[in-house]
Amino acid sequence: MNDTAGPRRRVDVGRVAHRVAVALLVVYLVVPFLWMVVYSVYPSENLRSSPMSFAPTDLTLAKYGELFGDSGFVRSMTNSVVVGVATTVICMLLGSLAAYSISRFRFRGSQTLLLAMMTVQAIPAIVLAVPLFVLMRDFGLYDSLTGLVLTYAAFILPLVIWMMVSFFDSIPVNLERAARIDGCSHLGVLRRVVIPLSGPGFAATAIFAFITAWSDFFLAKILTGPNAETLPVRTAAFQGLFATDYTAAATAGVITALPVLALALVAQRWIVQGITEGAVKG
Amino acid sequence: MTSADITFDNVSKRYGAKDTEPAVKALSYTIEGGHFVSLLGPSGCGKSTTLNMIAGLEGVTEGSISIGGRPVQDVEPHKRDLAFVFQDYALYPHLDVYDNIAFGLRMRKMDRAELDQRVRDAAERLEITSQLGKRPRALSGGQRQRVALARAIARRPAVLLFDEPLSNLDALLRDRTREELKVLHAEVGATTVYVTHDQEEAMSLSDEIAVMSKGRLEQFGTPGEIYERPATEFVASFVGKPQMNLQTVTTTGGGLRIADGWEITHPHTLGEGRTVRLGLRPSECSVRRASDGGGLGRVRVTEPLGSHTDIALDTAVGAFRVRVPGFTDLRAGDPVDVTVDGATRHLFDAETGARLPDPVAVGV
Repeated sequence: MNDTAGPRRRVDVGRVAHRVAVALLVVYLVVPFLWMVVYSVYPSENLRSSPMSFAPTDLTLAKYGELFGDSGFVRSMTNSVVVGVATTVICMLLGSLAAYSISRFRFRGSQTLLLAMMTVQAIPAIVLAVPLFVLMRDFGLYDSLTGLVLTYAAFILPLVIWMMVSFFDSIPVNLERAARIDGCSHLGVLRRVVIPLSGPGFAATAIFAFITAWSDFFLAKILTGPNAETLPVRTAAFQGLFATDYTAAATAGVITALPVLALALVAQRWIVQGITEGAVKG
Repeated sequence: MTSADITFDNVSKRYGAKDTEPAVKALSYTIEGGHFVSLLGPSGCGKSTTLNMIAGLEGVTEGSISIGGRPVQDVEPHKRDLAFVFQDYALYPHLDVYDNIAFGLRMRKMDRAELDQRVRDAAERLEITSQLGKRPRALSGGQRQRVALARAIARRPAVLLFDEPLSNLDALLRDRTREELKVLHAEVGATTVYVTHDQEEAMSLSDEIAVMSKGRLEQFGTPGEIYERPATEFVASFVGKPQMNLQTVTTTGGGLRIADGWEITHPHTLGEGRTVRLGLRPSECSVRRASDGGGLGRVRVTEPLGSHTDIALDTAVGAFRVRVPGFTDLRAGDPVDVTVDGATRHLFDAETGARLPDPVAVGV
């Protein structure tokens, strides 16, 4: 276009650069994942031959079938689901009640408490690994789902409280006062007004809690043996000392990643909705 | 609908420890059943705190509040038989208009037929029947206000509480809603307590006004009493537009000396040489052009408002306001004389601000 003015063109250049940067970032993040998907659905010979063969006729879900038939793998999957769900339920139950009282009731030291919880988050898990291991072993919780759930809850709860406090803070206090005059008890206000209104925030936080517990490798590796092994630990085990079953590792990786991917997509929608609802409050 | 008296007996509210300054100090007065009473005062004067204490949203530190003869300090908000209209309306965003109005009725386990009847009655009265299926988000400010009112009256409470309900509306809508509120109150007959910082709103709506300042009740009386016989200098300065002229003056034998060469007659009984505060309503004063170089002051600015014109003067005692009917041909800088012959002299103690006793006949 001839009539495009100089400054406008510069803006366009900036925009193009921005898009290129975003595209590169997406490629950087997505390609390894796609490569893993490709690895899981082609026989390894196809990928080791030169040139690689991607014939559609060679596509196979054999490895998926094999893994779902493997009782050890299925057990690690069940473990992950149990640990993820249990951690989420505990964190949301305790976390939302704690967050509500911090957000709504005046008491001495509430802000200090909130800060203290964040400070704990600043300690890296690796520092705590050995003491945690000793603790769990002494309490007889090593290699147990209970031990793992308790550990995750301790790590995730502060984050859940922080997120829920900010969601509760965005709900106008007068709504709760109106509900109290309309006839709700404190708990009734929570059930009929606060929770329905913090729905998107509640869902987003729950999904965050689940994803964090589901995808943890480090703590699970340290605190579990063959009994309470979770999916990430099991997946890593396909990398052997002398041989690595790449197809199995890739397949397990895809299986581990899919729920996270699905939940992240849902959470993104919830979070966006949560933000816009806060913007037009009342 | 029933109505109930509301009685304050030495009510105080403190937010901090015992030695902190209370937000509300020793209130004692009675709001008669069915009356419309405004709590008027500047922000931070304790009027909203008082309203919240009636509602039970905040506790009472000392004293007691009774509604319909029953002390309510230990009664939950929803058992006090009252409804509350909030400044930001506080409509439940996740419920449609119908459910917003029905919420309080459902909580009281009302049967469905009666509930439906009540919701539709309230909606009809406030002309929002066509909005019943909408969420609050889809409504304009004025409509939200009506939903909030409908929610309050659907419950048919003995007491209606309003916390600055008109302050979020634009000027035109505010005037209209004010009128409707008055009609609504006459229809439903509930005892109404209305918090506002707008003295015009308070004057036009109320049977009685409680003027508050710094947590204290300054005066409780009808709009006429408040305007014509303000009990304190604060009330005198807060009520009335434009603001009353308040000057420090000295008593003389038969009157008051405002400044050198500016004395007015007033048959007071205060003795000579006493310093007091004098209040004069701008609308009761008048001005006339003085000869060049003479006069008590000069015109600083004129504000023609149609039915009348407000004139601000610079005088020996500082700013002085006069309101004259119609328009004026005075211009900024013109020298003028001020006449206060017909004006009521409101006298206040210079220290305490309390109204000083009026002479038997107000002098001219």
